[in-house]
Amino acid sequence: MSSEPQDQTRGDSTPFFSDTKPAPLSCNEAASLCMKAARGAGMSWGMAEEAGFAAAWLVSHGIDGPSHLRAHLERADGRDWADLCPTVTPYGWQNTNGQPACPIILGATMCDYADLPEGPHSGTTIALGPVSAPILLVPFLAEVARSNGLAFTLSWPEGAVRIDADETWLQASLQSLGVPQLVLALSTNAAPPHEPSAVSMPNAQTTAATIVVLNTFAMRTTVPATEASRAGAGSTLSDND
Amino acid sequence: MSLNTSILSTETLDYMRPATEVMRLARMGCGHPTRLSFLRVLLRRLASSDWKIDRPVWNVDANGVGHGVYRVKSAERTYSLVAFAHDLPPEMRSDRVIATAWDATFTLFDGEPTAEDIARLADNVPYQEAGRISAKELTLARANRSVRLFEHVVNALAQGCQPDPAEIAAVGYLMRTTAVYGSGKFGASDRADIAQRPELAAPFQVEMLTVWLIRAFTVDIVEHIATARGGETAVKLDRDIRRSLGVGNSTGLGMAPFIVRHPVLLNNWIMAREEALARVRAQPTARSQALSDLSAALDAAITNARVWHSEHPIQVCKLDELRHDLALLSTTLNTWDWKGEHPWDALWSWGVQTLTFEGQEALLSLMLEPHGALVDDLADHMGANEAASFRINGAMPVAELLRILESDYAWALAIDFTSPENVARFWYVSEEKLEPRLGERATEDGATLEQPLCIARLVAELHETVRNFDATQSVAALMLAHPEHRFAVRRAQITAHHPYAEVQDNLIAADMLPIDLLRCKLAFFGASQFDPRSDRWVRINLFAGAPFPDDIKAGGAV
Repeated sequence: MSSEPQDQTRGDSTPFFSDTKPAPLSCNEAASLCMKAARGAGMSWGMAEEAGFAAAWLVSHGIDGPSHLRAHLERADGRDWADLCPTVTPYGWQNTNGQPACPIILGATMCDYADLPEGPHSGTTIALGPVSAPILLVPFLAEVARSNGLAFTLSWPEGAVRIDADETWLQASLQSLGVPQLVLALSTNAAPPHEPSAVSMPNAQTTAATIVVLNTFAMRTTVPATEASRAGAGSTLSDND
Repeated sequence: MSLNTSILSTETLDYMRPATEVMRLARMGCGHPTRLSFLRVLLRRLASSDWKIDRPVWNVDANGVGHGVYRVKSAERTYSLVAFAHDLPPEMRSDRVIATAWDATFTLFDGEPTAEDIARLADNVPYQEAGRISAKELTLARANRSVRLFEHVVNALAQGCQPDPAEIAAVGYLMRTTAVYGSGKFGASDRADIAQRPELAAPFQVEMLTVWLIRAFTVDIVEHIATARGGETAVKLDRDIRRSLGVGNSTGLGMAPFIVRHPVLLNNWIMAREEALARVRAQPTARSQALSDLSAALDAAITNARVWHSEHPIQVCKLDELRHDLALLSTTLNTWDWKGEHPWDALWSWGVQTLTFEGQEALLSLMLEPHGALVDDLADHMGANEAASFRINGAMPVAELLRILESDYAWALAIDFTSPENVARFWYVSEEKLEPRLGERATEDGATLEQPLCIARLVAELHETVRNFDATQSVAALMLAHPEHRFAVRRAQITAHHPYAEVQDNLIAADMLPIDLLRCKLAFFGASQFDPRSDRWVRINLFAGAPFPDDIKAGGAV
């Protein structure tokens, strides 16, 4: 990056957080930064939007989604789609190459298939295999649970967490799911239809270190300046009038 | 909340203009403010409900440096504009996002700020992008003086005189904002956290409130400096002159991507306006009061067109057309047959056959003006819950997606993207300043980092894939096989339910004018006197002619 510290001439103040201070982002900032970072790390624009959605959803639920996304992007950077995506069958949604699945791709695909026979339906259990940054799967499952009247149980060899209308599970599950990788299975049960909890909690803060890494990914989507681009950006007339 | 066709009566539907007509850049670039514009929505609410407006803090020295607080208070809520006035050396004055200091900086505080809040804001707001605000703040803004008019008015008032009306008319504002940020920018409150408040449900209400209070500040600071300079000789600004002043705004390419990135919102804005026009046209008769209101609105439009200045060749030509069209309309109305069937529709049809786009869109605004009771409720449908449209419908068969592309995007599929002039430009974000820019594909590097703003080409590429994909498969399967099209599929599924979601033009064509995108959005804000400074940079005026905080309860046209 070419910016000086405290450079006011760039449309972004997130680089100004220093390492020791907490870094509170609005949900809009978290979604925007994470979307750009995901794109910079190789996701398609439409999938990068899903990454922004997931990170901001976690922020608004008190969890530092940007740091989890950062950790995942650092591991997934440079990997091909075939090494990140699931192969969808009624009983297993695992990566064919045996790689840990990208939680954003897996979650978005879960939403895509929610109303199809291959998707999660009451009474089914789907083996997901190893999933990177599994906490990032939660926003997608919470959406499907709400829209389709379902409750999910995510289980791994040492434990399980139930995802349903009562969002009290969220903080409790953070410790279990906020890890680099888990081998997961997803069981689905019917649940009464519900709306998102009206109880709002303070946004999660992220860290300056996370912002540095996400901005580094995001900067890959930008174009270095040339004299032509500088000249074309503004008016040729004086503003001092 | 989307304004979808289910709320329209069949009779009104017959009068709706199709998207193929409305959503073209050439017409969008002729948009005029209407009574559904967001600043009008704000003023109607402030005038009609129990908001009390005052200025509890004014701590400004003789050089015009310090801070003030403007308070807008109802039984339920208080909003406070915290204004910081600075002493800016002339060589630092620039409207670009790359400026580093301003004559004044502002934030709209959610509630009443404490001394600690003010101290925190004083450490951040004057630095704008280099500072941080919090969820207690709703907007962040800055403004620069119009050097020419500001000094003239201060000098005149300090000497006990009123400013020269010709000077006032030539500029139209004392200060112009160069950015008004909301929606969570720089740490501010997220839109989703405040959108449920009735007074903020319509789009951009916190931004409009910020600018309206800035307008009051611009007059207060001028009178303050004049008094400091002239002592007892100094006088206040004449109230009629004051009312004629707005707040200038200078807007560049940064705003252009917004209406492309928010298709549901764009749809809801346009659909509300088009529904309003359809309701007016569908009336079987015309009320006499409406006719006199139309006449008054036309007089105001003619006056506005007279004082509207621009040196930009495109706008000079449009202004000639507008003045000509308004004169023609005025003549025509003298003998118009209001006793015939559906006289408003007949007038509209006359306009479509007779007037330029500039005149037609001005006529639309004029026809809405006398019909507040008929159309003002549509302002309640101009917000959008974008999250509700975010999910892709993976169960949709690919055959259905293909049908949507070939019907709703016929305009896009008709563009030949193998032709150099149709891919001449590319949108990108500058590494240096993080601002959106438009590059020339043939001569500039960076096209591999193109932003997804040319929807037409993205959809054309999607169409090519979909045509060769198993039509019996699901969109979910298509997305697994072709993740690169996820962005375009989301758009197409949104457009299937939101007919006015897309600008139906090629946004990377050689002859595309970014100012057309800017004007469309700014007209919905309520801007007037569009003055392009280049093909991608425009100055406007906001709130000119509108009431001030101390006279909004007295009535007047809002």
